Amino acid sequence: MLVNHPEAAHWPVDPSRLDLVEEFRRKPRGPHSDELQKLLHRMRWSGVGRRHVLVVLEPNRRWMLARMPGRRGAPVETFPNQVFTSLAEAEWAVFALRWEALTGQTLAPSRTTP
Amino acid sequence: MTDTTAVLGYAWPLVVSPGEEVAFHLSSATLEGAEATLLRVRCADPDPDGPGLRFHQPGTPLDGPVALRHQPLRPGSCALIPDAPALNRPGALSVAAFIHPTAPGTGPQTLLSRWRDDTAEGWRLALDAEARLEFTLGAQGRLWRVTAPRPVLEREWIFVGACYDPAQGRITVFQSSLDAQAGRDTGGMASAEAPREIAWPADTALVIAAHALEAGAAPRTAGHFDGKIDRPRLLSAARDEAALRALAESLTPSPAEPDLVGAWDFSREMSTDIIRDLSANRLDGRLRQMPMRAATGANWDGRTVQWTEAPELYGAIHFHSDDMHDAGWSPDLRLTIPEDWRSGFYALRLRARQGGEDPVESFVAFFVRAPLGRPRAKLAFVASTATFLAYANSALRLDQVHAEAMLEGLIALSRDDVYLQEHRELGLSTYDTHSDGSGWCYSTAKRPILNMRPRGATFNYGNDTHILDWLEQIGQDYDIVTDDDIHRHGAQTLAPYRCVITGSHPEYFSRSMIEAFDAYQRGGGRHIYLGGNGFYWRIGWHPTEPHAMEIRRGMIGLRTWEGEPGENALSFTGEPSGLWRASGRPPQRLVGVGFDAQVFTRSYPYEWREPARDPRIAWAVEGIDLDAPLGDFGLRGGGAAGLEVDRVEPTLGSPPHLLWLATADRLDYGGVPTLEELRTLHRGTMGDQNAQVRADIAFFPTARGGAVFSTGSIAWACALSHNGYENSVSRLTGNVLRRFLDPAPFEGFDL
Repeated sequence: MLVNHPEAAHWPVDPSRLDLVEEFRRKPRGPHSDELQKLLHRMRWSGVGRRHVLVVLEPNRRWMLARMPGRRGAPVETFPNQVFTSLAEAEWAVFALRWEALTGQTLAPSRTTP
Repeated sequence: MTDTTAVLGYAWPLVVSPGEEVAFHLSSATLEGAEATLLRVRCADPDPDGPGLRFHQPGTPLDGPVALRHQPLRPGSCALIPDAPALNRPGALSVAAFIHPTAPGTGPQTLLSRWRDDTAEGWRLALDAEARLEFTLGAQGRLWRVTAPRPVLEREWIFVGACYDPAQGRITVFQSSLDAQAGRDTGGMASAEAPREIAWPADTALVIAAHALEAGAAPRTAGHFDGKIDRPRLLSAARDEAALRALAESLTPSPAEPDLVGAWDFSREMSTDIIRDLSANRLDGRLRQMPMRAATGANWDGRTVQWTEAPELYGAIHFHSDDMHDAGWSPDLRLTIPEDWRSGFYALRLRARQGGEDPVESFVAFFVRAPLGRPRAKLAFVASTATFLAYANSALRLDQVHAEAMLEGLIALSRDDVYLQEHRELGLSTYDTHSDGSGWCYSTAKRPILNMRPRGATFNYGNDTHILDWLEQIGQDYDIVTDDDIHRHGAQTLAPYRCVITGSHPEYFSRSMIEAFDAYQRGGGRHIYLGGNGFYWRIGWHPTEPHAMEIRRGMIGLRTWEGEPGENALSFTGEPSGLWRASGRPPQRLVGVGFDAQVFTRSYPYEWREPARDPRIAWAVEGIDLDAPLGDFGLRGGGAAGLEVDRVEPTLGSPPHLLWLATADRLDYGGVPTLEELRTLHRGTMGDQNAQVRADIAFFPTARGGAVFSTGSIAWACALSHNGYENSVSRLTGNVLRRFLDPAPFEGFDL
C-alpha cells in the first residue's frame, strides 16, 4: 500500500507574511529561508487549489499550466493560454494561485509577475 | 509539441544478438501509417541545453512506410481452466473460496464463474457493485440470482460460497467473516428460487477472478476481481456452508471424493503461470496477465514470512483488474539483425504528420547485445534493463501526492505522462500502486514502455545515453551487455572485458547479477560505476519468461509502497527481496559507496579530498585542478552531485584500501537522507546539518589487478557534455577509463 496524507500539511499560513511572498518572487527556485520552505511544503504537500502541474510543450523551453484531475484515468486539465518560457515564471504563477487558495487574498498586480 | 504517443509499440525480444530476429508490435488508434526508421541511439535526451537527440542510421529494409492498425490492450488478470467434461456435470453444484477483496464496491467483480456473457449462460459467483456476494444462474434467456444481505469489507478475509440445489429448486449464497468481531462481522446467507433443471453452456471456460465474454478455451474476459482468492473449491453436489468450509479449510481434500470437481492449490508451482487442481479431474489452469503469487492465504498466521518455508500458508493469488504483462499484439515489422552490427541501444522511430502542428515522433526501443563470448571491444557498458523495467511506465508523479514536495518543484509532465494519466491499460511500474492500492511487483517488456526510449523521461534510460554520447564523442569503442544477460549467464558476461561501466542508476540486482559483478571484480575486472543509488534493491527474474522482473518492496528502503506483511519473498525464485543491504550485500562492499540521500533542490559540485593527491592515484587527476570545485555544472540541477547520491561507509563494507577522493557533503536542506539511514529520530538530519548526507567519489583496487571507481551520483552522467565535453567531470572519467583499460596492475596497495 501507498499511504500519503496531504491533509496532514498544517503549517499555519500567515496572510500578512508578504515578506515570504517577496522572497519567493525573487528566488522561485531557492534556496529559501526556513519559513518559506515551510510555506512551500504546505503548498506542495497539501496540493492546495488542486494539484497544478506543467505540461512540457518544448523540452526545457516552453511549458503550459495544467492541473491533475485527482482521479486515475481522467484527462489532465490544461490551460493553453498560460504558457511559460521559464520554470521560474511558472513556479511564480502557481505560487500566486496557491497563495490565494490558502489565504483568500489575491496578490497585488505588482507582485504577480516575477 | 511533438506527439510521442499516436503510435506505440514494443520490440520482442527486448534484447537481441546479431543474427537474431526482432519483431516490432505496433498499434495506433488514429494513424493509418507512419514512416519507420531504425536507429542506433547515441543520445536520447531532447534537452536543447545538452547534446540533443543524436542517432546513427544504419539503413535497413524496414526503413520506409509502415501500415498501422489499432491493437487494443486488455488488462486484468485471472485464471482460466478450459472446458472439460467434469465441468459439465448436470444438476447440482457448489462453489466456495476464501477471498480478501481489495477494492469492493468499485463495480461488479467476478470471483468464480463458468459463464459466457454474450449469451448470459452458466453460473457466476461475484461481488456486485455494492460489494455484496451474488450468485447468478443463466440459461435460455432467463436469470436466477441471489444476493447476500451485507457487503464484504475491504481487506478482510471472508469465506464465501454458493450452491445450486435443483432438487429443492433453490440457489443459496453464504459468507462468514474470519475475524467476526469488533465491527468486522459481515456474515450471512440468502436463498432464492432456481430452476429444477438447467443446461450448462458448452465449450465455456471456468474462470477465476473474472468471467468469460464468450465461448472457447481462451476467451476475452471481464468483471475482473481485485483481491486475493485462496483455495477455491467446486463440487457437483449441493452442500451446506459447513461442509464447504471444511473442504476449503482442508489443504489436501480427498481426490477420491466423487462429487469434487476441482480444488485448486495456488501454492504449487509458484514461479509459473500454472495453477494445479488437487482433485481427481486434474483441472489445471493457466494464469493470464501475471497476477501476484506468493500471497499470504487466509490461514497465514505469521509463523514465517518466507513462503518457501510453509507454502501451504501461501495458497492465495492476488488478482488485479489492471494487471498488464503481455499486450498480446501481433507483430507488424520484423528485422534480422545483421551479423556485423555493433551492439547498442537501438530504436525504431515512427514519424507521421511531419510539417504539421502536431507532428508524430514515437520510438520503440530495443537492445542489441554483444553475443556471449564474442566481445568486440575491451569496454562494456551495461544497459540497466532491470532498472528500466522497474521504472517502466512510472506514474509516480501522477499518482503520488508527495511527488512535488519530494522533487522540490513543479512537476513538468511530458506528452507521455499526459497519455499515461489517461491510459492506465499500459500497465504501470514497480513504483506504482494498482487501482486497488497494492504495489506493482512485476514488470515485463511485452507492452509499450513510454519511459525507456528516446524523447521519454530522462531518468535512467535517457541519462544513461549521456554516457553513450560521451563514449562516442571521445571515440571509445564499447560493447553493450544487458542486465538480462548478466543475470542469465553470470560473470562470463562480464569476464571478456577489461573494463565495465555501469550507468547513472543501476539500482536493481538479482543475486546472480550481483555475484557476477563480485566475481568479475575479484577476477581482475575493472568496474566504473557512474551513477547513484546503485546495487540497491534485490530482485528476481522470471525463470522462463524473458524480460520479466519482480521486486517486493518490504519494510525498509526508500519505497513508494510498502509490501504486505509476509509477502516480501520473491514468487519467481523464493528468495528474500527488499534491500541488498538487508541481504548482506550492501553496495558499499561491492562499489565502495552506497545510497544515502536524495537531493532534488539542485545539484552540487564535489570538493577534492587529500587522498586525491596520493601519488598512487595521480593518473586519475592528471590535468585537473584539485583546488577547484569538481563538477559545478551539469544538466541536472547545475552540478555533478545530485538527484540520488551515495557515500563511503566503512561500517557497510567500504573496503580498507579505498581512497575517498572527493565529496559533496554540503547538500543543504534539500539533501534528505534515505529511510534506512535513520535508526533513531532526532531533528537535524537533512543535508544542511548532516554531513552524512553526501555524494562521494572513491577508488579501490581489487584482487588480480582489478579495480573499482565510483562517482556516487545520478547527476554525474549529465555533466559529461558540459562545455563541449571539455570539463573536469569528463576529464576525470576519461582518465579513469584510460587507466582501467590499461592492464598494468595498480601498485602500492600492498595486495
